[in-house]
Amino acid sequence: MSHGPDGPETGARADPAPPDAFEEEVLELMPALRRYSRSLAHSDPDGEDLLQDCVEKVLARREQWRGVNLRAWAFTIMTNLFRNGHRRRAQHPEVEFDEALGLRAEENDADPLERQRLMRGLERLSADNRAVLMLVVIEGYRYQDVADMMEIPIGTVMSRLSRARRQLAEAMKDDNVIALRRPK
Amino acid sequence: MTDEFETVSEDELHAYVDGQLSPPERERVESWLERHPARAEEVRQWQTQAAALKQNFASYARNGENDRALIMARRTAGGTGSASPALRLRRLAAGFLIFAAGALAGAYARDLIVPQSQLAAAASEALPRQAQSAFLIYASEVRHPVEVGAGERDHLATWLGKRLDYALKIPDLSSLGFSLVGGRLIPVNGKAGAMLMYEDGTGGRLTVLLGRNPENRETSFRIASHGNVETFYWIDGEIGYAVTGEVPRELLQKIADECYRQFEGSERS
Repeated sequence: MSHGPDGPETGARADPAPPDAFEEEVLELMPALRRYSRSLAHSDPDGEDLLQDCVEKVLARREQWRGVNLRAWAFTIMTNLFRNGHRRRAQHPEVEFDEALGLRAEENDADPLERQRLMRGLERLSADNRAVLMLVVIEGYRYQDVADMMEIPIGTVMSRLSRARRQLAEAMKDDNVIALRRPK
Repeated sequence: MTDEFETVSEDELHAYVDGQLSPPERERVESWLERHPARAEEVRQWQTQAAALKQNFASYARNGENDRALIMARRTAGGTGSASPALRLRRLAAGFLIFAAGALAGAYARDLIVPQSQLAAAASEALPRQAQSAFLIYASEVRHPVEVGAGERDHLATWLGKRLDYALKIPDLSSLGFSLVGGRLIPVNGKAGAMLMYEDGTGGRLTVLLGRNPENRETSFRIASHGNVETFYWIDGEIGYAVTGEVPRELLQKIADECYRQFEGSERS
């Protein structure tokens, strides 16, 4: 064996080469993908799971990418993972939920109770409705883009969006009735 | 009277909330809303909701410290992607440690019920780096590659095990053509770690590094390459393992697999 005395300097880098252009692009997408995965998922760990599954898939299928709009392609993969019933680790949903809440609450300006109400409301949405809501509201996709990504007619996008908004509003209203005390 | 002719659809209300209307359309909806307070209230609700959603998830739009490692881990494994049947079986059977580094994961992870979060766990990045350094330094060392030789195998296990606070069982790799040269104490993650060295019939060497892992988590089986030096590494609870050698990846994988099997046995006993 002749490794030569190249010592610790060369051994200090684990990566064989810098990321290629595609990998760099994926890396740049990570914040957006992380936000989207978390907005779909039940908890922080579930969100990270979904994100990692998505990244795995994006990298594994890079040959299938047609070279335009990597962001939309990655979002589509994520959406499909989620719609196809991305498994949840929520054996103890309440515990996980509260843990997730505690983890993030400090970084968030939102009233923790308000946030909890919102998150609970989101749990009531179907996967399809939730994905449409997030793609439109948080990710800022146009309705036609969402229709293309989910391979559904634009009318279906609209009806899902409408249902998501109403159900969420309803859920949060229900919670309000319990949470608020009427002044006498 | 105008209202009977001028209608605003539900879709337009959504588009209004989502900023997907042209300015004239927008004005039309706004004036309509002024005359329809009930719908205007609903629209306000949607706007509030949208603002809350954006605010709630905004903080997630950031890079994780392991993002790069996650992407690179997939790459270093290459795109060939087929796990040996034994590995696949193991993954299905054991369930808790996933031999899913990059390529292995690409093809199969989708079909397996495995906790993918363990795939991330790239805080283990430091481990292969240290393993490669150790390999490069010590494997080329002719006279003093180890502190305690293979002749004192039991002593070596006890000594290193005590320093690591871990019931160390020294893997027997003779079935793969490697015999123990010996071992030494080595810093890993700033704590006492152990390095074991093996040699094949032609003097080709490989090292097995064990270090305490501060985060106490599990990772998948991962690969890191540096030049011709390959490292297979994984973290299993409190201990991180790294098998490093300048040998073909397939062989190193077998060796890592064998080490894993034997270490797992020593934990159980």
